[in-house]
Amino acid sequence: MSEFTEPYESKWQAFLLLLPTFIVLIAFLYYPGLETFRLSLSQTILLGSQKVFVGLENYVTLATSSEYHSSFAISVAFAAVVVIGTLAVSLFVSYLLFEVDVGSSTYLIAAIWPYALPTAVAASVLLFLLHPSLGIITYYLEQLTGTSLDWFTNGPQAFAVVAVVAIWKQLGYNIIFMVAALNNIPETLTESAEIDGVGHLKMLYRVYIPLMSPTLVFLVVMDTIYAFFSTFPLVDLMTSGGPSGATNLLIFKLYRDAFEFSSLGLASAESVVLFAIVAILMYVQLRLSESYAHYGG
Amino acid sequence: MATQTGPSSKSVFERLLPEGVETEQVLVHGGLLLSIFLMGLPLLLALVMSTQNTTEVYQITNIGVGSEGLSNYQTALNQYGFGEYMINSVVMSVIIVVGKVTLSLFAALALVYYRFPYERAVFMFILLTLLLPVPVRIVPLFDLMARLGWGNTLMAITGPYIASATAVFLFRQHFMSIPASLVENAHLDGVGPLRFLWEVLIPMSKGMIAGVSVITFIYAWNQYLWPLIIISDQSKQVVQVGLRFLQAASQSGLTRWGLIMAGAVLALLPPLAVLIVLHRPLLKTLAIQQK
Repeated sequence: MSEFTEPYESKWQAFLLLLPTFIVLIAFLYYPGLETFRLSLSQTILLGSQKVFVGLENYVTLATSSEYHSSFAISVAFAAVVVIGTLAVSLFVSYLLFEVDVGSSTYLIAAIWPYALPTAVAASVLLFLLHPSLGIITYYLEQLTGTSLDWFTNGPQAFAVVAVVAIWKQLGYNIIFMVAALNNIPETLTESAEIDGVGHLKMLYRVYIPLMSPTLVFLVVMDTIYAFFSTFPLVDLMTSGGPSGATNLLIFKLYRDAFEFSSLGLASAESVVLFAIVAILMYVQLRLSESYAHYGG
Repeated sequence: MATQTGPSSKSVFERLLPEGVETEQVLVHGGLLLSIFLMGLPLLLALVMSTQNTTEVYQITNIGVGSEGLSNYQTALNQYGFGEYMINSVVMSVIIVVGKVTLSLFAALALVYYRFPYERAVFMFILLTLLLPVPVRIVPLFDLMARLGWGNTLMAITGPYIASATAVFLFRQHFMSIPASLVENAHLDGVGPLRFLWEVLIPMSKGMIAGVSVITFIYAWNQYLWPLIIISDQSKQVVQVGLRFLQAASQSGLTRWGLIMAGAVLALLPPLAVLIVLHRPLLKTLAIQQK
């Protein structure tokens, strides 16, 4: 940034312009964020009317709770499935969008619309279409595979169904970024590889994916955060965490502990764990994007 | 765009095909149509079934347009509160969009066109809030709203969302890309900061403002967990949580899935319309966000 772009000197004006943003960020983000840490060291008694300091007891509870362990493991597995599934499908569609000769802008809108799909809408629609006894998709899947599907009682099936819905909703966002990344690849590179007769799949793995890697890293981070933080409506509307805890994601358990069981201290400790997850992911993203910056990306 | 293909492609997939560009493009189009069809299929089915009555829904393979026509939509809007929920969602989302764009434009103006101490630290202070999504601060935030007496108010579902690291970042990037000469001219004319923002910066940032507005609108419209917790008065609830209430709708013991599909379609339409109309500025803005 050059000197020319800072024509105003008044520090008071700058302060006033920043003030509204600061008030909101301090009041509704930093203050409650810090309070979470403090609350995580306390327990509420007498129906929430009194707080007592209990040190690290809530964290010990989490560390020794088999329910929390399983919720944590399920969330990590869920994130892995959602990230891999979303990236794989999005890469396939994006590559086709990149290769198509005519109509690419029409196809693009038809492929990115799930970006506007609210999570609760995705959950409601597929809850019905995949309903074990009423769902038309379930019906044809059963006809096709000769198996009987009942994800209302089968844990792994419920996990898979929720993951599929989570992936569906996230496709639009990923395709937007992947198509942009593919279109940024220098055309000369594509052309010279084509003259050398390099096949399509090989091009994808050897040339495009490496060149897209900053975007792919960004998407891995964003999709992971999405899988941990934005999937609450799916669990809430489709499975309520069941059957027998198979879809009890951390975000859903946090909601229940806080607002159904009023264990505010324990829930705050769970929030701190979620904070640690998002902090680690952001740090990874920052570090990797710095290392890519050296290549002029 | 690559439209040309190599004469001797090497993959197994390629060798199965006759030579020639056109065959390949047929496959590309075929693949795209199939992918898009599969991605849109649940929505198409939801649309069809939103016109069916409960008996028709229970005939699983019936994918004909049902006998209810649009009456499920009327029922959702008039008898199940979706009229109110939709209005609440629109009001909430518009307030968040206008608030966030305004506050972020002010903040970016200060960050780019003013010289003040600790500029870098101030910017970091704003950016670091990316580490604090709602679930990380949900219990104290709920507590705070209760103490402020904001439960069941629009303030509770809009206030925490009207400042944003992402929007400040995007406007800052955009302002920094505006040629210095333009800024110099404005300053020489003795234009004050707010007039400078209004007459110079905003006209030059229309695409970016549109892009940030679309991202924010879609994000705000999608809110579910926070309104679910902080709004207990059903008439003040937003449409996404309205879908939760609709699940309980039944007729002689049978869940009214046609009605639920109608509600889902209603809850999707506004953000989908915004995306389709404003996809160009959205795509441009997201391309900058990643950096």
